[in-house]
Amino acid sequence: MDKNYACYLCKGCGLGEALDFEALEEALEDSDISEVKDHEALCSPEGVALIQADIDGGVNAVLIGACSARVKTDEFTFGKEVLVERVPLREQGLWCSEAEYEDEEEAGEDRQMLADDYLRMHAAKLGKAEIGEPFQLEEDVEKGVMVVGGGVAGINAALAAAKAGAPVCLVEKEDALGGYLGKMAKLGPQSPPYQELQDTGLEELVAEVEAADNIKVFTGATVEKTEGAPGNFSVTLSNGESFRAGAIVQATGWNPYEAEKLADELAYGTSDKIVSNVQFEEKAKAGDLGGINGVAFIQCAGSRDENHLPYCSAVCCLVSLKQAMYVKEANPEAAVYVIYKDIRTPGQSEEVYRQAQELGVVFIRRGEDYPAISGSGPFAIETQDVTLNDTVEIEDLDMVVLATGMVPNNPSVVEPPLVALGMDQDEAAKLAEEAKAASDDWSVLNLEYRQGPNLPTLKYGYPDSHFICFPYETRRTGIYAAGAVRRPMRVTQATEDATGAALKAMQSTRAAEAGVAVHPRSGDDTFPDFFMQRCTQCKRCTEECPFGAINEDAEANPLPNPTRCRRCGVCMGACPERIISFTDYSVDMIGSMIKSIEVPDEDEEKPRVIVLACENDALPAIDLAAKNGAKWSPYVRFIPLRCLGSLNLVWIADALASGIDGILLFGCKRGDDYQCHFIKGSELANVRMSKISETLDRLVLESDRVRVEEIGFGEVDKIPGILDEFMETMEEVGPNPYKGF
Amino acid sequence: MATKAYDKSFREEVYDKVDAGEEIKLCMQCGVCGITCPLRDEMTYGPRQIWSLIRAGKRDEVMNCSDIMLCTSCYTCKVRCPRGVKVIDVMHGLAHYALQEGIVPRENTSKFGKFFWNSIYKTGRIDETEVPMRYSMRRGPIHGIFETLEMMDIGRALLSHKRMHFKLGPGIPPSKKIKGIKGLKKMLDKAEAMSPGKEA
Repeated sequence: MDKNYACYLCKGCGLGEALDFEALEEALEDSDISEVKDHEALCSPEGVALIQADIDGGVNAVLIGACSARVKTDEFTFGKEVLVERVPLREQGLWCSEAEYEDEEEAGEDRQMLADDYLRMHAAKLGKAEIGEPFQLEEDVEKGVMVVGGGVAGINAALAAAKAGAPVCLVEKEDALGGYLGKMAKLGPQSPPYQELQDTGLEELVAEVEAADNIKVFTGATVEKTEGAPGNFSVTLSNGESFRAGAIVQATGWNPYEAEKLADELAYGTSDKIVSNVQFEEKAKAGDLGGINGVAFIQCAGSRDENHLPYCSAVCCLVSLKQAMYVKEANPEAAVYVIYKDIRTPGQSEEVYRQAQELGVVFIRRGEDYPAISGSGPFAIETQDVTLNDTVEIEDLDMVVLATGMVPNNPSVVEPPLVALGMDQDEAAKLAEEAKAASDDWSVLNLEYRQGPNLPTLKYGYPDSHFICFPYETRRTGIYAAGAVRRPMRVTQATEDATGAALKAMQSTRAAEAGVAVHPRSGDDTFPDFFMQRCTQCKRCTEECPFGAINEDAEANPLPNPTRCRRCGVCMGACPERIISFTDYSVDMIGSMIKSIEVPDEDEEKPRVIVLACENDALPAIDLAAKNGAKWSPYVRFIPLRCLGSLNLVWIADALASGIDGILLFGCKRGDDYQCHFIKGSELANVRMSKISETLDRLVLESDRVRVEEIGFGEVDKIPGILDEFMETMEEVGPNPYKGF
Repeated sequence: MATKAYDKSFREEVYDKVDAGEEIKLCMQCGVCGITCPLRDEMTYGPRQIWSLIRAGKRDEVMNCSDIMLCTSCYTCKVRCPRGVKVIDVMHGLAHYALQEGIVPRENTSKFGKFFWNSIYKTGRIDETEVPMRYSMRRGPIHGIFETLEMMDIGRALLSHKRMHFKLGPGIPPSKKIKGIKGLKKMLDKAEAMSPGKEA
């Protein structure tokens, strides 16, 4: 595109007094920007009108030297035809740069250099940016949603999507809809005053599905193959049917934790009167609960136990309360015991607990040890009683119920450790093989993705991508998890969950239609562009993409699927040939920003440090720290990255070669409890950095010069400390020997 | 405590026969009552464990435990209980029930209670001289004289401030009765007949 540049500098918020605007103008001398204007308050209606008038007069690339790009977004947006680049003179220049000085003149000089650098850096980026067209699928964008799983979550997801106008294909492997809801006798109390058991309501739900004219139900069928991308999935079922879907909701529910595994601890299998809670429910459904005079429910049967199911399923307590109510309803005189570790009845379900107590259910708190069950009916139980600090015995039990937890009905996928990437290839293959062996070898969706047929899972086999921040999102764009396959949950929660996931699914078809990204960069209309002529087919992008967006074509070239892409730029960081770029974000752009920093000579004793900061968490934290009045060295320059995973090692090399003394990388928390918006971005950056220290050694540079830090948005207070400490390290290490070359 | 099987008969006895006994069903063993009790250092179990013992069916431990008579009715536990259990009502109910069953969990408290009650039942009021006098004589006149002498200073101060009137001995002279004492007795008898386990 032909660019017609203009730069606008703001004198508001104290910038006017602190900076020399003539010098700023001079800083842009080497760029293409010749027109520089300033204004007392650029965000005021007059200021915005000044810019708008120039845009109307033909300007289409605007550099705004004012506040951070995170604020005043409404004021400084001028439509799709105008490139806007914001220079954070206020947050990252003025507010944070009043470190202790004796000499005011020197302070002013350092701040001026900082502002000059920022202006040059962002001008360089603006110079390379382009306005692109959003990606459009060749085919029509399909708006329909496929729901896999016809239980309570699946049915509700189908109904929610259908009500919102999307055609739905509902696939259920059993011959009838219902899932576990169909196996339940009753539901526990669901509404105030939380005292009465309720009907499951399945018949009404199924009737509603049958009455809806835009829901197609396929029972007795599983998904044989899913290929394509959001807006254009093609699905083949085991019964030979095939159809297109725009997005997918996976609501495949749960399996009970296998009680057989509790044979040693809880004598399961020694008698048909020692049953799991699911079996007890079946008995209740069959009306087979007569003649119970004594029953004990053993909570956390396998749950919260490192040897079995390490997590809490959050429903077993309520299930046992409900089942205790069944017994009390059939025989109010029955002695009902619940032997628990903790009763977990969040929210209104506390009322259900109260109701069970009112009915005379006796609760005994045990410790970590399992109770010992003896006899072959009637049974006796010996258990620790924490309150009495003693071992107690319960006799004459006609039945013992083991409250087992929920396991997601989804294959567990163990990913090979990231360090395997770029490792010794044999070793990497071995690790990948081990991971594959640890994964369950079946599939729900049978995805035709290069990274495998399954949704990647979190550590317990749940296919969520980030449980708290991004509910329903899996690591496969356009595929959303709902209900107990996402996390253990009860019927009411699954009903709500289903609606959320259905709406997310529909949202992703709309995003595919508009050619924009879904969460977390929703609305971003750029997408990675591959300069294929130079591709060496190393496949790193296809391996490292956290969302499996890149397949492989018949000639073994990477085959991007832009509607699966979330625009994190991990592929761009991975590419050793640097052929992947976005219209407003590329290896070259960030490289040019780094190169446009002016590095003073060694004898001036003004070191330069760049911070490559994740713009999701670290950058807002930096802005906030500055706003809160934190101060740090004026020798630090921040460069925002879409994700630390988009870090390309060439930037490190460029920076060190141009005389930058130190490089800090700010990313999100990594590991099992990661907070990375793109799942493994900060993990990948760390792996890449682990490989750079030998390069530094080869260049006779100290590896102290580059450091990765994890910054959460809540860790605003840590930022000045980290920067101060790094500046001290730089002082110890001394200036970069490559200065001036 | 020796290991002993859970026995539902005692908890059902408590639910049926003890005043406010059913309240303890709602206890969720959080322990706020126990830690909040100003007399916790004096108690063997504290309210929370008492409830557990009842559920476990340990009749002897509960009925013979002085805890159920130590409650001073400060009401802190009842105010703080997240489940709204009327802890004090149950405690007094248990004490009362124990006495009914011929068990005396705490000799002094039960004697004091008896003199206190008799004073109200017979005269319709608490006689501030009569009740302590009878209480101090509970182990015979010789012991009573020594115990009274120990309290001499307090007694003198109370007399000089007219907080107490002078008596030669219990019932000398007899305490004054309120007007309508017959009516009050009728009411108290009726209430006694209505208490749990005594309904016709």
